[in-house]
Amino acid sequence: MLLTKKTAPANNVSRQGERESSSPFIHSLRRGLSGALPTMDRRAFLRRSGLGVGVGLAAGQLTLMRKAEAAGEARPTAVGAGKVEIKRTVCSHCSVGCASDAVVENGVWVRQEPVFDSPINLGAHCAKGAALREHGHGEYRLRYPMKLVNGKYERISWDTALDEITAKLKELRQASGPDSVYWIGSSKHSNEQSYLLRKFVSFWGSNNCDHQARICHSTTVAGVANTWGYGAMTNSYNDMRGAKVAMYIGSNAAEAHPVSMLHMLHAKEHGCKMIVVDPRFTRTAAKADEYVRIRSGSDIAFLFGILHHIFKNGWEDKQYINDRVFGMDKVREEVLAKWTPDKVEEACGVKEAQVLKVATWLNENRPGTIVWCMGQTQHTIGNAIVRASCILQLALGNVGKSGGGTNIFRGHDNVQGATDVGPNPDSLPGYYGLVEGSWKHFAATWGVDFEWIKKQFASPAMMSKPGITVSRWIDGVLEKNELIDQDSNLRGVFYWGHAPNSQTRGLEMKRAMDKLDLLVVVDPYPSATAAMAAMPGNPDDLNKNRAVYLLPACTQFETSGSVTASNRSLQWREKVIEPLWESRSDHMIMQQFADRLGFGKELSKNYKMQKVKGMDEPVPDDILREINKCVWTIGYTGQSPERLQAHMRNMGAFDVRTLKAKGGTRDKVNGYDMTGDYFGLPWPCFGTPEFKHPGSPNLYDTSKHVMDGGGNFRANFGVERDGKNLLAEDGSHSLGADITTGYPELDHVLLKKLGWWDELTEAEKPKAEGKNWKTDSSGGMIRVFMKNHGCHPFGNAKARALVWNFPDAIPQHREPLYGNRPDLMAKYPTHDDKMAFWRLPTLYKSVQQKNIADKVHEKFPYVMTSGRLVEYEGGGEETRSNPWLAELQQEMFIEINPKVAAEKGIRNGERAWVHTPTGAKLNVQALVTERVGPDTVFMPFHFSGHWQGVDMLGYYPAGAAPVVRGEAINTATTYGYDSVTMMQETKTTVCNVEKA
Amino acid sequence: MARMKFVCDAERCIECNGCVTACKNENEVPWGVNRRRVVTLNDGVPGEKSISVACMHCSDAPCMAVCPVQCFYRTEEGVVLHDKDVCIGCGYCSYACPFGAPQFPSQGTFGVRGKMDKCTFCAGGPEANGSEAEFEKYGRNRLAEGKLPACAEMCSTKALLAGDGDVVADIFRTRVVQRGKGAEVWGWGTAYGSQQAGTPPAGGVRK
Amino acid sequence: QPPAAPGTTSAPAAPAAPAAPEPAAGGIRGQNIFEVKPEASVDPNYANQTNGERIKVQPGNNAPMWRQVGQGVTGYSSLPKSEAPEAGNLIQPFVQYPGSRLTNAGEAWRQVRNDWIIPYGAAVLFVVLLALAIFYFTRGPIRLHGQETGRKIERFTPFERATHWSNAIAFVTLAISGIVMAFGKFFLMPWMGAALFGWIAYALKNVHNFVGPLFVVTMVFMVFTFIRDNLPRASDLQWLARFGGLFGGKEVPSHRFNAGEKVVFWGGVLFLGFFVIGSGLFLDKLLPGFVYTRGEMQVAHMVHGIATLLMMAMIMGHIYIGTLGMTGAYKAMRTGYVDETWAREHHELWYDDIAAGKIPAQRTVPTDSAAPAARPARPAEGTPS
Ligand SMILES: Nc1nc2c(c(=O)[nH]1)N[C@H]1C(S)=C(S)[C@@H](COP(=O)(O)OP(=O)(O)OC[C@H]3O[C@@H](n4cnc5c(=O)[nH]c(N)nc54)[C@H](O)[C@@H]3O)O[C@H]1N2
Ligand SMILES: Nc1nc2c(c(=O)[nH]1)N[C@H]1C(S)=C(S)[C@@H](COP(=O)(O)OP(=O)(O)OC[C@H]3O[C@@H](n4cnc5c(=O)[nH]c(N)nc54)[C@H](O)[C@@H]3O)O[C@H]1N2
Ligand code: HEM
Ligand code: HEM
Ligand code: SF4
Ligand code: SF4
Ligand code: SF4
Ligand code: SF4
Ligand code: SF4
Ligand SMILES: [Mo]
Repeated sequence: MLLTKKTAPANNVSRQGERESSSPFIHSLRRGLSGALPTMDRRAFLRRSGLGVGVGLAAGQLTLMRKAEAAGEARPTAVGAGKVEIKRTVCSHCSVGCASDAVVENGVWVRQEPVFDSPINLGAHCAKGAALREHGHGEYRLRYPMKLVNGKYERISWDTALDEITAKLKELRQASGPDSVYWIGSSKHSNEQSYLLRKFVSFWGSNNCDHQARICHSTTVAGVANTWGYGAMTNSYNDMRGAKVAMYIGSNAAEAHPVSMLHMLHAKEHGCKMIVVDPRFTRTAAKADEYVRIRSGSDIAFLFGILHHIFKNGWEDKQYINDRVFGMDKVREEVLAKWTPDKVEEACGVKEAQVLKVATWLNENRPGTIVWCMGQTQHTIGNAIVRASCILQLALGNVGKSGGGTNIFRGHDNVQGATDVGPNPDSLPGYYGLVEGSWKHFAATWGVDFEWIKKQFASPAMMSKPGITVSRWIDGVLEKNELIDQDSNLRGVFYWGHAPNSQTRGLEMKRAMDKLDLLVVVDPYPSATAAMAAMPGNPDDLNKNRAVYLLPACTQFETSGSVTASNRSLQWREKVIEPLWESRSDHMIMQQFADRLGFGKELSKNYKMQKVKGMDEPVPDDILREINKCVWTIGYTGQSPERLQAHMRNMGAFDVRTLKAKGGTRDKVNGYDMTGDYFGLPWPCFGTPEFKHPGSPNLYDTSKHVMDGGGNFRANFGVERDGKNLLAEDGSHSLGADITTGYPELDHVLLKKLGWWDELTEAEKPKAEGKNWKTDSSGGMIRVFMKNHGCHPFGNAKARALVWNFPDAIPQHREPLYGNRPDLMAKYPTHDDKMAFWRLPTLYKSVQQKNIADKVHEKFPYVMTSGRLVEYEGGGEETRSNPWLAELQQEMFIEINPKVAAEKGIRNGERAWVHTPTGAKLNVQALVTERVGPDTVFMPFHFSGHWQGVDMLGYYPAGAAPVVRGEAINTATTYGYDSVTMMQETKTTVCNVEKA
Repeated sequence: MARMKFVCDAERCIECNGCVTACKNENEVPWGVNRRRVVTLNDGVPGEKSISVACMHCSDAPCMAVCPVQCFYRTEEGVVLHDKDVCIGCGYCSYACPFGAPQFPSQGTFGVRGKMDKCTFCAGGPEANGSEAEFEKYGRNRLAEGKLPACAEMCSTKALLAGDGDVVADIFRTRVVQRGKGAEVWGWGTAYGSQQAGTPPAGGVRK
Repeated sequence: QPPAAPGTTSAPAAPAAPAAPEPAAGGIRGQNIFEVKPEASVDPNYANQTNGERIKVQPGNNAPMWRQVGQGVTGYSSLPKSEAPEAGNLIQPFVQYPGSRLTNAGEAWRQVRNDWIIPYGAAVLFVVLLALAIFYFTRGPIRLHGQETGRKIERFTPFERATHWSNAIAFVTLAISGIVMAFGKFFLMPWMGAALFGWIAYALKNVHNFVGPLFVVTMVFMVFTFIRDNLPRASDLQWLARFGGLFGGKEVPSHRFNAGEKVVFWGGVLFLGFFVIGSGLFLDKLLPGFVYTRGEMQVAHMVHGIATLLMMAMIMGHIYIGTLGMTGAYKAMRTGYVDETWAREHHELWYDDIAAGKIPAQRTVPTDSAAPAARPARPAEGTPS
């Protein structure tokens, strides 16, 4: 088909005449130009619609976009005549990682074009991704540093801000030690920034840092890693195209990971059956072949209910379990005995017939995948729920298979990367534990003296003690000093890319904020925290000396760096525009603080500096190179900036189903040959960049050679347990491995025993001596083991159905602390209280018992759950400041069932008060819908700016309030934390609803 | 000549509003003007389906027929465009349009609405292709750049297809065959009627 | 999308099919969702099933939903009702307006407007114009038979005249602008071109929108001012029975306003005016408490269109009589005074009352120059004696 300039109105002769009369010359010029405009053939059309999958377009290197752009330049009338550049970036709103091309004209982001070549999104975007360019306006952003003076924010200079904050930090350090300051990092930071922040906090001398993953997938990371090695999504969105059945349990992908649905719907059209298990009939459920409504928090009962049928009918994959799974027999016994259909129905509310139907589908359709997200993780038993899901997949033999796996949809755009290499309180980058060996490994990489780092800490003991979690920082402030497991209470907090309304117990957070000595918010949109801090609270709580600063960070579009999508692929973002207003990049701000705190040189020893707006900024490429040099554990070593950048420029080379690059694809700029690489080098991408490991598209996949991304389960928990073999059984190894039995992880002893030591070069040997694969800075051991012998450096073991080091080795259903079913609480009680857990006392049983005694369920009869809307993200300050998005959701609302509405006399669209046991009340709009059952209500969590019925507009820094404000649900959420990771309970609590 | 059409596949559309913001972004559409919107039927109950709707660029366009100043015109590709210089903001097109496509920048007390705005199939307006004036009044002219509408190009699930009617129908048909359901091409009956592009309806030419 | 007849096998995908080669079209039909489980249609409730229910018995059959859509059922849209009241409506419901087919409301309205109001409205105006022209050229104006006496009677007080003229000016403005909106594209646009016409139409449209409410105000004054003397009287019947004596014979005696004028007043001004004003205010979105959906606007528009056209036709007659059609009439409204002869000839009963002193010949006390004609004794300026 030919797309030409449209003709003059054909239906209107007089107008045509008139137009022609304007100037015959112009007219003929126009006609001539229209002939010169680009044409589109059918194939190009298919591609542009993102449908030409597999249509190998010869002109793959040159995107159609650029072609069109080139044509545009020929047009004398093209909009603007300035310099036009195309910058390839990645959406910063969720873990799908959709690529987008930014058209920048004279430094202004003027357009956004889809990247059809991206195998991840094929040009597609949800509302947030399609509205990215608004970041280039930044109208509602904080423009310059500000300080709270007498209840109002006043503009100050960057130098004043940095100097004053540094002075305050030094003062706190002097008086109360480095652990008195808490650093909340961000899953919005690039890998380089997250990594640098962990390094920064280490040099400051503390482990008191954390980021969003804590309140997002921490239970997944811990639970899943303890099951089979890595706590990440095993396969990819793309790989789901090959699934025969997909069960979404606790994921509302249609709203939270919209573009992932592109792949799922494709699979569905090819026969994949889709099951959605959720307390709400979500937009995802609307696309399902089977929807199962469960009671919030009862996933284990449901999952084990399925497993009961599977075991009863012998549908489990016995060979697979024998070869690759430890402890399934114990689980089998328990499930058969305990989770009979009646118990299942009682606990989760699902009838036997439906559970059986789901079990039958899972049995008959393999490989099948299971998807989960916050519906499973955000519970006091989150760690156990996610393991129950793993166990189900293990029983079906679905893990380590294309089309199978546990597709755990991560949250923020870089929550995966920030978890991998960022500010975690219990580990150094790459999940290296807080032990001396790790510290030394990093000290060596960073080029600093281990003893120097040690001196920065309050004591050597504090160096290996996991810090407080972001979910509990408020207790670090409010808890009695003698009850906390560090010297001082928290006195200073840095909110460095995190919202306040995303943590629970808002009323107490307000108190904690008032008590602080120092609150610094480094964020492009710091306004939610700012308003909360400026709002008058209880005068008794207010610390008279409190200092509050707002520092404008720039967004990820104003700097460059890598970002790790949910499927573990890394993508490189080019810098789109210069930082707007007075904003600065996070790594520049870190450097500037480090300089003032006296460890600037140490921080950036291995980095070159580049000038941004005339100031020094560490070069992100160099930071990534440093990551490449030390993060061996999870294979962040192969993804050099050059390789990633080549991938980004040649996205069209990668297959949409397998993510593998076609042969003979070489980047024009740096000459890198991508043949055989998987897109974005999904970690683990082992060895040095030169080693050319292609990345691992699906984890633990024994059907592939390790040099082609294959693998097996990790040997991380010893070789034997209770006399049973923990390593994989014979014959169960990755394709082509020289060791065909199970084997432990690689270290110098093993390599020598195997007689392969001499395959190391002479240069490698001294570096490898006495080391294991995780600390061998030469990468030589990995090279020999993988390339020469096809073996996996982390060993070959069984996955654990039984995680003996967790509170419940076999996942146990336990009722939440706040629930509306005291009968079930009696049957499935929660854990015992814990005293020093992540430095804080943590309550379980005492709260639950008190709630039963107080009959909380009578006053607050509805289960209150929360989650996402497609238009907004996280705390929402960023997306609610984007008018294109804000227009689409202008009111904070509560979904209530028509039955509840009738009982309470509330009509659709009317206002309602929501009361919770904390004493908080929220004024929200009622949305009457059968989406939720009569026992459950749902609220989105993206709003803030109203506080218990009062608009906080007056407390915002001038000009930096978002377009839409509303009541934050977390003002009213209750106490409750996961028993392994301190994940906050946001999905199951209780409330009452009244007409306002 | 290609006849431009939209298809929204209700089996795929997930109400993500990507198409809506893509349009706002590409065409700098102001708050309150919704060239495209997404409507969900059976919201929250089994059978829920969403459809993204904008101007369908009807064959026998009612808007065009009622416009008192005849500011509409149809391009060779069947795209229904209008001339804002001529538009008087009377609102008649919005009364006539089955799909509620025409939008107005103001609410219309005293009948003051401003100039009508609607989906242009990303084909701009009567001004010179790609000119600043065209962009300011109508947004981008992607067709002239050899691109298809932003909304469809960015649709998160490829539910929304835009382009040559025969091609999109083909794609849609393949999907229907593959999945064996969801055959309804929403809105085509109303927008394109019995007639094919350009040919007048059986009953003769209507005004 | 016509409402799918439940249970039929016509795949609504048909529109997509014609251009396609047979096999592909056959492909769809082969997969026809309605045939998945044909026995399901035996259920007596089949036709009333919701989409959710239907999907259970016939997976993939969305006919109930499409039926709803065709009927204009409103779905969910997150846009607030206050800003986009009809965002949830996918397609306007089916209606049949008088004169249209049963079809989509927008289309039905278009049919009424474009097939009836515009052509027949134009015809009506044209016919009236033609009739008046013929009348004028064949019969000429109605002249006075007797000599003017030079004695003046005050027929309209300054207030009455002010009311009338402001009303008249508003009306004429509205009529001209209305006519441009309705018919301009047929007679002005080909002549002046789109750009100029668009500009003029835009200006006139806005004038219309703002003068409309002004007209409403003047109308209220008109009614109060003239209603008393327009109250029907016994003599009106006679007048009507003989067409005021228009076709032969002597003019039938009348009071201050004759029955013809009263018909204009009651029918043209009051009755039609009510609809014109009501619908006009509605179209202007000035009546409080309405949502102003497209459906309501269509109805309002049709009412407005018809009522204004009839009113214009009537007022055209009135204007004719008031100007070309009758000597002295215009002067009466302009200056306020008529000659005794005029009064006797045209409104004999009224004259009799004045002569009898029941009605004063001079109702206002003309002090300043505002009143153009001074005393009954003095001839009005420029009046030929
Ligand atoms: N638009 C948008 N997209 C996002 C985000 C965003 O803020 N906005 N955030 C990103 C982030 S950080 C994350 S972590 C992901 C989250 O993505 P999701 O987890 O998919 O999103 P949620 O809406 O939090 O929760 C998913 C579903 O869990 C259900 N649920 C609640 N309780 C239970 C339960 O006990 N069991 C089960 N099975 N289900 C339950 C809820 O009803 C909800 O439908 O989304 C990412 N994507
Ligand atoms: N009730 C309830 N609560 C929840 C959840 C729930 O489902 N229900 N979900 C939880 C989950 S899964 C998550 S992940 C959290 C999310 O909650 P948060 O992560 O706290 O929410 P966001 O608003 O996304 O916060 C990110 C902040 O980073 C800023 N930012 C963006 N880019 C940059 C940058 O480049 N640099 C810096 N410095 N800042 C930047 C943004 O402006 C924003 O203020 O909420 C949790 N809270
Ligand atoms: C009595 C004198 C009036 C006449 C002769 C008249 C005539 C007309 C005509 C012919 C149209 C165009 C119809 C079409 O194109 O289909 C129209 C439209 C309209 N009229 Fe009137 N009208 C009159 C009074 C009013 C009044 C009193 C109001 C408001 C109070 C009003 C408000 C409108 C509006 C709002 C429109 C719709 C077009 C637009 O919004 O511009 N009209 N009128
Ligand atoms: C240019 C336009 C008009 C002209 C030249 C005109 C002329 C006249 C004249 C000459 C009279 C006096 C008749 C008599 O003495 O009996 C009159 C009366 C009257 N006119 Fe008009 N007129 C015009 C417009 C209108 C309009 C628009 C209306 C109302 C909508 C109107 C309503 C009346 C009424 C109510 C009377 C009083 C007599 C009666 O009740 O019929 N006129 N007009
Ligand atoms: S928010 Fe997620 S799904 Fe949406 S465009 Fe961005 S990355 Fe893609
Ligand atoms: S959809 Fe509406 S605006 Fe678009 S061409 Fe059809 S009638 Fe006109
Ligand atoms: S609003 Fe403009 S485009 Fe629509 S009918 Fe009126 S003049 Fe025509
Ligand atoms: S075709 Fe263009 S103008 Fe029309 S809705 Fe889509 S993006 Fe908007
Ligand atoms: S972008 Fe696509 S899937 Fe999303 S609402 Fe629009 S049409 Fe539906
Ligand atoms: Mo998250």
